[in-house]
Amino acid sequence: MAVTPTAALVQTLNGIQFGFILFMIASGLTVILGILDVLNLAHGELFSIGAYTAIGVFGFIIGIVGPPGGGVVGTAVFVLAVLAAVLVTAAILLPVGTLFEAVFLRQIYDRDQVYQLVLTFALLLILLDVKKVIWGDSSIRTDAVYSAINTIPTSELVGLNYPTYNVFVILVGSVVVVGLFWFFERTKTGRIIRATAIDREMATAIGVSTDRVFTLVFALGAFLAGFAGAMAVPPTSATLEMGTNPLVLSFVVIVIGGLGSLRGAFVGALLVGVIRSWMITLYPPGEIAAPFAIMALILLVKPEGLFGTWGETA
Amino acid sequence: MPERVDRDGTPAYRFLGVEVTRREAAFLVIGVVFLFVIPDIAGLSDSLQLSVIHQGLLFGFAAVGLNLLLRHTKLTSFGHAAFFGTGAYATAVLARYAGVQSVGLLLLGAIAAATVMAAIIGVLSLRHTGLYFALLTLAFGQLLYAIALGQSALGGSDGLPIRPGPANQPLLFGTAFSPDVYQILTYYLTVVVILIGLFVMYRITQSPFRNALDAIGQERTRARFIGLPVRRYVWAAFVISGIYGGVAGGLYAVVRQYVRPEGTLFFLRSGDILFMAILGGFRTLAGPLIGGVVLVFLQDVGQDVTQYYDFLTGVVLLILVYGFPRGIVGSLRSGGIVNTRLNELRREPSVLSSWGRTAVQSIEQKVAESLTSLRIILFGVD
Repeated sequence: MAVTPTAALVQTLNGIQFGFILFMIASGLTVILGILDVLNLAHGELFSIGAYTAIGVFGFIIGIVGPPGGGVVGTAVFVLAVLAAVLVTAAILLPVGTLFEAVFLRQIYDRDQVYQLVLTFALLLILLDVKKVIWGDSSIRTDAVYSAINTIPTSELVGLNYPTYNVFVILVGSVVVVGLFWFFERTKTGRIIRATAIDREMATAIGVSTDRVFTLVFALGAFLAGFAGAMAVPPTSATLEMGTNPLVLSFVVIVIGGLGSLRGAFVGALLVGVIRSWMITLYPPGEIAAPFAIMALILLVKPEGLFGTWGETA
Repeated sequence: MPERVDRDGTPAYRFLGVEVTRREAAFLVIGVVFLFVIPDIAGLSDSLQLSVIHQGLLFGFAAVGLNLLLRHTKLTSFGHAAFFGTGAYATAVLARYAGVQSVGLLLLGAIAAATVMAAIIGVLSLRHTGLYFALLTLAFGQLLYAIALGQSALGGSDGLPIRPGPANQPLLFGTAFSPDVYQILTYYLTVVVILIGLFVMYRITQSPFRNALDAIGQERTRARFIGLPVRRYVWAAFVISGIYGGVAGGLYAVVRQYVRPEGTLFFLRSGDILFMAILGGFRTLAGPLIGGVVLVFLQDVGQDVTQYYDFLTGVVLLILVYGFPRGIVGSLRSGGIVNTRLNELRREPSVLSSWGRTAVQSIEQKVAESLTSLRIILFGVD
């Protein structure tokens, strides 16, 4: 099969879009891992809660205002809906993250790592059924809500037929990437968090409350997962099991990038996203296996991942 | 014949290299007898199904293998379903494509496949420790799941039946039995395999090899300094634990006569196997087996009672983490939390009310703490 330049470009863009979503999930996971030294198995469930919430908010707003059409009004409705979805997701996931850290995780930092795995796995199971209670166990189709969004023309301006929603995700993803790096490099809170990650005791000695930092970081991670869910859901349907694949793929991403490295997560996510997307046209059965193959390859060459570690976990 | 020896001042008996005190011997006999009479007990009650216990024992057996890594080398494998699934799928492939009918040959195939798989995954993931190792094993497990799901030769998400030959089932001793008899016979086969497996594991944990693994688990660098081939030893332990998983998977396939990716390779199964070890008590030999039966039983009963059985399992795991970190067997043993508390209660029954007060107080304290944290996050001030 001949691959035209346009098709290749579209596939690459798809890959980048998926990569950005992966980055949003993996960044939360890697920040929690780098600072709290906890692998949060419930991260995928937080992701899917974000997705379900976003669908609900979108559906609600569109039910009131009507579907977003083309033109300025349609775009405005859409932007409004997205904003509302993000706000509601934050309103739900920040407190959830806070509670998880303050109530459950804080008690067991000094125990064997395996207990943290059991704990976050228990939370995963509990969230799974909480979702079942709230949203039922049948999948929710979302294309009816979102297909209208794609009628807003964007990429046609440059002579390319590419879904508007994907363009939007890439834009939002870029903003998140820049925002996160800015937060950790330039703001005071970000520096405090990094200091805590590098040397917990020293940070305590100079007056940082590690408890609060940990809570903040977990809440931030939970929000990032939910935000990714809110951005990721449109093209497909939402199911109860939707948390699993992103969770495992973001494991792959953070292993490729190096545990706890934000830069590594970014590079890893784009790498996995693009290569996976190319596989879909070149060799379809390889789609699922490709990320794992990249991971194995990189680990053979560079066992600590592309960018090593960020925090104190050497 | 049993030979009397002295173990730390208590009289003990040594037989086939196994040293037990009288108390332990009694538990052992009760345990073995119990394993053998389960089919009869299961016949008496509707809620207690043989197949459920059987499945619990099989997953628990895989957890016994995992426990070798967890207990001594302090490595947390989160992908042990890979070996369980490899064993099960090897059995299915042999039965379907090679027409192998004998249960023994099918199990040998399962063992061979699991050994190879464990050797490969071990080489790739044992360069790392800690979370990296957990993540890597999980990723490899999920890779196998993806392969089983994607290959039409392996049946995709529908899975593969194990029905070789005209008898439509694997043959025990070259004979086909009626389904009821087959179920009970495979159960006894499982019991025998489990007893052998536990015996082998006991011998391993009494050997210098175990001491080497303990040393590696405590401090790798020092272990290397005293001349232990760390990588090779850990790899050997990994392969052994993988073989246990493979045997369990092969038996599972033979018993159920059907394998699906969801039931054998999915990462939640890996989680189950890991949590069985912890639930039963990962510092004990038979704990993982008991944890396996309890967890599977819990899920089965939960499924009957409510559709929210995951929630139930989750809550049990939470209670386990906070209340009984040594697991069921570890807590019941002398010196365990249950034993200590029972003794206190026997001496002074009024201690019960003070326990209640302490529990309520600590819960109140935690709630207050978390509310404070919430306030800080939301408003930035205390």
